[in-house]
Amino acid sequence: MKSAISLTAALVFFTIFSGRAFSQMGPDIQALLDSYKKSAGVSEFSAAEGKKFFNSRRVHSVNKEERSCSACHTVDPTKQGKTPVGKVIEPMAPSVNKERFTDPKKVEKWFKRNCEYVLERECTPREKGDFITYMFSI
Amino acid sequence: MKTRFVIAICMVLASLSINASIPAYADRGEEGEEEYMPPANDPLYKEECSSCHFLYLPGFLPARSWQAIVKNNDKHFGENLALDAETASRISSYLTANSAERSGSEWSGKILRSAGSGTPARITEVPWILKEHRKISKETFKRPSIGSFSNCGACHPNGALGDFEKASVPK
Ligand code: HEC
Ligand code: HEC
Ligand code: HEC
Repeated sequence: MKSAISLTAALVFFTIFSGRAFSQMGPDIQALLDSYKKSAGVSEFSAAEGKKFFNSRRVHSVNKEERSCSACHTVDPTKQGKTPVGKVIEPMAPSVNKERFTDPKKVEKWFKRNCEYVLERECTPREKGDFITYMFSI
Repeated sequence: MKTRFVIAICMVLASLSINASIPAYADRGEEGEEEYMPPANDPLYKEECSSCHFLYLPGFLPARSWQAIVKNNDKHFGENLALDAETASRISSYLTANSAERSGSEWSGKILRSAGSGTPARITEVPWILKEHRKISKETFKRPSIGSFSNCGACHPNGALGDFEKASVPK
């Protein structure tokens, strides 16, 4: 009996503090995703595609160096990343960093900068939707 | 040794409680010079200019350098910052009002004299700054714990508070 209670308590504890229960998408970001869906002409985004996109590497045409999203954000989005100038970047996964993906203006600003940096073009609505979906799946 | 300890304590206290813009813990050197740089305290500047690197203190460059850096923000060391006109103008005003000409720091004076009539594109190309760091090799700057000469905070742990006298090079 005693052990059953403590097991239940442990389970409740785990569900609450594992963080996953909290990575809910706010209405602003939901609206942003809906607008991406409309532009991309799709009804669902894919976390698997987002993961592939996040980890894919590309050689920059001018600098000749290999670049990827995960180079700065690390392959594990629950961990801290780092810029080439040595500044720490807080984790990207909303399950461990509640400030992520809360302000659509900020999200768009960084997509613009980072997509240009890695891909030398803007990201497509589909790439952005898959990326955000992947981040919320972690 | 003892005074260093006292200064360190003061710095910790200052960073905790006192408004960081007051040079309460300025380290006055033997000849009474002020070896201290007023910290950057503008929220917009911090928001827009410290995500990718150390928040450079405005007293490290002449006003004309800051104005050029903000004006050319679409070609910022390989990045397009794409600042809107209003944001750019506010940041430029803040940096101009607190630049090397205005900071009151001994180091700013050295930077201005060293830059002469030029417009340095970076702090790390000002001859006096290069001279102060001449013993540090290119390989050292590339260490994963440092990354770049531009990563001031890696070796100046209290740099954000205006103390650049304290320096230790991480392994
Ligand atoms: C050169 C380093 C670097 C690379 C490469 C990079 N990022 Fe970032 N990214 C950053 C920094 C710095 C921030 C701002 C971090 C902060 O606000 O704490 C950021 C923030 C973001 C944000 C904002 C998240 C939020 O709401 O806070 C998004 C979205 C993003 N990056 C997407 C990407 C994508 C997609 C790629 C790959 C195409 C990528 N990044 C590659 C450095 C990088
Ligand atoms: C998207 C990333 C990013 C943002 C945002 C950013 N910078 Fe930079 N900045 C860089 C990079 C990359 C370098 C080059 C660093 C290097 O060579 O290691 C740099 C270098 C600098 C330098 C020269 C540092 C030195 O070596 O002396 C200054 C000054 C500077 N930035 C000011 C600013 C200001 C002012 C802003 C805000 C308007 C800003 N930066 C915002 C990426 C950024
Ligand atoms: C790799 C480590 C390292 C980095 C990165 C670095 N410094 Fe230094 N810095 C030092 C060391 C070590 C000294 C002391 C040199 C000496 O005493 O011989 C020093 C000295 C100085 C001094 C002179 C202080 C005095 O007491 O006169 C200033 C000012 C300074 N650094 C500013 C900067 C700025 C600004 C940056 C970033 C743009 C920077 N440093 C980046 C290691 C570093």
